[in-house]
Amino acid sequence: MRLALAIASLVVLAVHGVVFRNQFFHEWERHQTAYIEQARSFAKSDRERAELDARSPRIEQIIVTSFGDTHVDRCTTCHLAADDPRFGNHAEPLKTHPYSEALGDVERNGQWERRHKFADFGCTVCHDGEGRGLDTFYAHGQDEFWPDPLMGYVTQANWRKDFSPHLLGKEYMEAKCAQCHTEEGFAGTPHVNRGRKLFYAMNCYGCHKIDGMSEGTLGPDLTEAGKKFKVDYLWESIVEPRANLDTSFMPNFHLPQDDVEALVIFLKSRRGVNFAETSLDRYKAHVANVAVVIPPGTAGEKAGEQLLGDRACTACHKLGDKDGGIAPDLSYEGLIRDEQWLNDHFANPRSRVPDSIMPAFRFPTEDFQKLMAYLESLKTPPPSARDARTTFANLCARCHGEKGDGNGKVAWYIDPSPRDFTKQGFMASKPRARFIASIQEGVGGTSMPPWKRILKDEQIAGVLDYVMQDFAKEPFKQLRPRNLPETNPVPSSPESIARGEQLFVAKRCIGCHGRKADGKGASSLDILPHPRNFRNHWFVESVADKRLFESIEYGVQGTAMPSWIDTLSTNEVGDVINFIRSLQTTRK
Amino acid sequence: MTPTKKPSGALTTLRELPQNVWNSIFRNPLPSTDLERSSTSFTNFFLHIHPVKVNKNTLRPAYTLGLGLMATFLFVILVVTGVLLMFYYVPSTTQAYDRMLDLRGTVAFGIFLRNMHRWSAHGMVAIVFLHMCRVFFTGAYKKPREFNWVLGVFLLLVTLFLSFTGYLLPWDQLAFWAITVGTSIAGYAPIVGQQIKFVLLGDTTVGQEALLRFYVLHVAVLPAVLVLLMAIHFWRIRKDGGLSRPEKVAAPAPDAGVVKLKKIYGLQGFVRGPFTKLGNVPDDSVYSWPNLLMAEIFVFVLTISVILVVSLLFNAPLEQPVNVMHPPNPAKAPWYFLGLQEMVSYSAFWGGIGIPGMMAALLLLVPYIDRSTHGVGKWFAKERLLANTIFLTLVILNVIFIVIGTFFRGPNWSLVWPF
Amino acid sequence: MMVAPHSHDNPVATTDSQMPRRRLLAWLSGFGLFASALLAVVSDWLFFKPRVTYGPNARFAIGKPDDFPPGTRIARDVERVCIVREGNKLAAISTTCTHLGCIVAIADTGFACPCHGSHYDQDGNVTGGPAPKPLPWFQVSLAPNGDIVIDKNAPVDPGTYLTV
Repeated sequence: MRLALAIASLVVLAVHGVVFRNQFFHEWERHQTAYIEQARSFAKSDRERAELDARSPRIEQIIVTSFGDTHVDRCTTCHLAADDPRFGNHAEPLKTHPYSEALGDVERNGQWERRHKFADFGCTVCHDGEGRGLDTFYAHGQDEFWPDPLMGYVTQANWRKDFSPHLLGKEYMEAKCAQCHTEEGFAGTPHVNRGRKLFYAMNCYGCHKIDGMSEGTLGPDLTEAGKKFKVDYLWESIVEPRANLDTSFMPNFHLPQDDVEALVIFLKSRRGVNFAETSLDRYKAHVANVAVVIPPGTAGEKAGEQLLGDRACTACHKLGDKDGGIAPDLSYEGLIRDEQWLNDHFANPRSRVPDSIMPAFRFPTEDFQKLMAYLESLKTPPPSARDARTTFANLCARCHGEKGDGNGKVAWYIDPSPRDFTKQGFMASKPRARFIASIQEGVGGTSMPPWKRILKDEQIAGVLDYVMQDFAKEPFKQLRPRNLPETNPVPSSPESIARGEQLFVAKRCIGCHGRKADGKGASSLDILPHPRNFRNHWFVESVADKRLFESIEYGVQGTAMPSWIDTLSTNEVGDVINFIRSLQTTRK
Repeated sequence: MTPTKKPSGALTTLRELPQNVWNSIFRNPLPSTDLERSSTSFTNFFLHIHPVKVNKNTLRPAYTLGLGLMATFLFVILVVTGVLLMFYYVPSTTQAYDRMLDLRGTVAFGIFLRNMHRWSAHGMVAIVFLHMCRVFFTGAYKKPREFNWVLGVFLLLVTLFLSFTGYLLPWDQLAFWAITVGTSIAGYAPIVGQQIKFVLLGDTTVGQEALLRFYVLHVAVLPAVLVLLMAIHFWRIRKDGGLSRPEKVAAPAPDAGVVKLKKIYGLQGFVRGPFTKLGNVPDDSVYSWPNLLMAEIFVFVLTISVILVVSLLFNAPLEQPVNVMHPPNPAKAPWYFLGLQEMVSYSAFWGGIGIPGMMAALLLLVPYIDRSTHGVGKWFAKERLLANTIFLTLVILNVIFIVIGTFFRGPNWSLVWPF
Repeated sequence: MMVAPHSHDNPVATTDSQMPRRRLLAWLSGFGLFASALLAVVSDWLFFKPRVTYGPNARFAIGKPDDFPPGTRIARDVERVCIVREGNKLAAISTTCTHLGCIVAIADTGFACPCHGSHYDQDGNVTGGPAPKPLPWFQVSLAPNGDIVIDKNAPVDPGTYLTV
């Protein structure tokens, strides 16, 4: 035991010694000593030399309170020569902070005068980093837990290796300049300006809101994106939209790196109310809801086509050789949609397809008209296919999938989802006429367009047979006739509607179809195809009462809709149908 | 040397000053006889806590593993480092984190003292738990030591609460969300749960009020309670005749029957108690001076050397500043509560209140349920197979839950493979 | 020495050959612990001495020499200092009254304190009132970038000027 005691005592002593030593030969002391020596060699008078000799290393501190939180910046403890012009050619950390006209510095009589004096601004307001730290690792914000690493100079260890090299560079500091210099087109923040233009040009504003700039609600609010996120997260969100959320429908725009950098710098400058703006300024901007002014596009014959590119429509849609992989193919749009439809759809996509994710863009009216004219001009039919298989592959597979299982390239983004033709229960229980009608006329309120101007009747029949044989694998059965009223026997009345609503709730229709009958019930996420959205008036109005009766009483085979014939009487079903019909708001 | 009576000159007074000062403080010589060794317990303020003689079994490292002493010394280290840290820390939501940064960056030895405090805290929770296991497995809670065991259980709870209140003080994401989770578990108690949570936090959510309350609890109230309970705990050890030991089987030594009444034992002759037998000193005891003192010093040096080395090598964590809008995924309670949190993920009430409550109650009742007096004083005595097995099983289960909660739970509390 | 060399109750008989080892180990332990205790006490003192405080800086810049034309006598109340320029010589005199700490005002004859009536001459010497000591002068120096730097932690003898 005595031996152990002796050893332990010596260990205690050793640790004391090590800790003692660590606390005394700090990195910053060495830097300061080096500075004093160097300054001594620059000294021009004995008085100066005497003052330097009397100096011993000490912690230097700048406390700044004018910018929101109290900043305590101890950077000048190591960077002691930051304001000493004689150290311009020295190595860091004893290097003079650069002077430049871009920073507003002025040269007078051979001497530079700083515009942003350190005593007024400190360091971290512009550079980020951890002002209170006194060693390189913590002070430069390399600690992954520190929210503000040194902007443009430091990446943190847990950042993705493929992004880190892009996140370095002095230009990132423009995001900090923009905290005060918030005006558009400020000369010192070219990257912020470019990012702002891209925010509009790439239609980010359509989905994302930035207070005072845009109103989009489909994506997260970016008003404080710079305050909440580090640059690596912002970069990743742009180049890999699904990296942090599997269900994100943000497109990948495949932007060049310079553009991504500009956007990241712009977003990093978004901090809610910035220093130069008062809360009142911000409130006024918010209330005024300044209309987005998109510079008008090109004029001329090819204007519409040009606009399609300028406005990044192909970031989602397909046209020609460009394909965003998110939205329908526009190649034959002139043969599919009419002007009225296109007009309405441009103004507000959800007025025609209620569950569309396409944002309502705020282009000038002339641009819309040019785009519409261009799309309407796309009347060249697809090369006439010899067989149904090719037709299907060219026109249908984009949504319905190569295997006809409803898993096409863009199926994820479409609501209601494209029909899964492999569901035998469904395919075999519907009359052929209905399918033909769906193909010819399209399905109202959904992304299924009318094909009658592109496909001839025999082509349509051929495609349908192909679908039934290859995907449904079920020959047409002669269906047993069902006892269904042609029209709703229950006349519509407030009482009937009220009864129908009670039934809708009491019989748990809301479990799938949602309390608002919009198809967003609690169980809806797990069901494919999704429960029908009854507020989709385009759809509901295109369906006859008889069919609604059939769906409710006999269920819809191949889907999760069960049969209610044992639970609901005919009159009750009639009430429910009246209720559903009452939900349809007037057009537009 | 008898003091001279002749009047001393001023010069003599001055010359004799150092010796007189020393002698007025240390009035007794370093012991060299048994008499002097006995009297150390009465002539020194600090050594008064010792009995004059102590059973050899008590000093056996393999018996106690020194765990109780370790816990005490860890507490002493915690108090010392804690008070030092109090000179720089401010319990304000706007200043606390910055002060932690300063402790890490600018305060001399700040980072080291903080490390010592944190690792001693975790160490104390672990050691106290192990001490409880030791006492159980050696059957040292049996009559007459039942109440001391009960005190021990309370000491354990106060230790956990001390650690929990201290956990919040850095005011970083780790602290904030751990306490949010922990106090939410407390809120599951029926009827009083929400009230307790509200009083604890001083508000409905963790904020400035909670920080202030936790600070006061951590630096003042709980240490005072702990010291009080510890004092009684040690007093009880003395009154119970020292630490438990195996029953003597052999006949007592021949001269044990000789009763020697000696005045040197002072007050001890008048003290009543079940085991304080005057003159009937068993021959397997040794003088506290120097044996017990050496054992204590040894445990102290061992404890502090481990703490120092660990504090040198590992830094206490300081994560991002608190962001109430951004809970980490997953948000985990401190490690000693992770077993609870794991159980809570199955059932809020049973995992958070029901089972822990039952376990605490069972612990308190242990000495009153197990009334047999056999198997005291040795590890895993055969007579106590049932009791030891049950206890060991529950201990292992607890450890397993803590391990699962620490390593095998990831985002949304889903099971993950940590490697 | 912590360890009593002769212990009747020591069950293991100590042989002579073990004594030097015992002594050495005891000495090592004692040395280790004592030295550590000493280091600990020193570290505690260093711990308590703050390395940074959070108030305004004691060393600060006030501008360029050209901002203070000859003949200037201007008081900066925030920093509690009076800048004096005579010809090409600069000085900084404290404006904190040495009596009980009020801010003195510049008067024709020098300085006057509004609190208890202390009077000082132009150089800060006491000419009347309860002030016990003259107003201290602070070191004025020229930073490498041309700023005038005043260091309130470095008092200088009255009459010390910086020549610019």
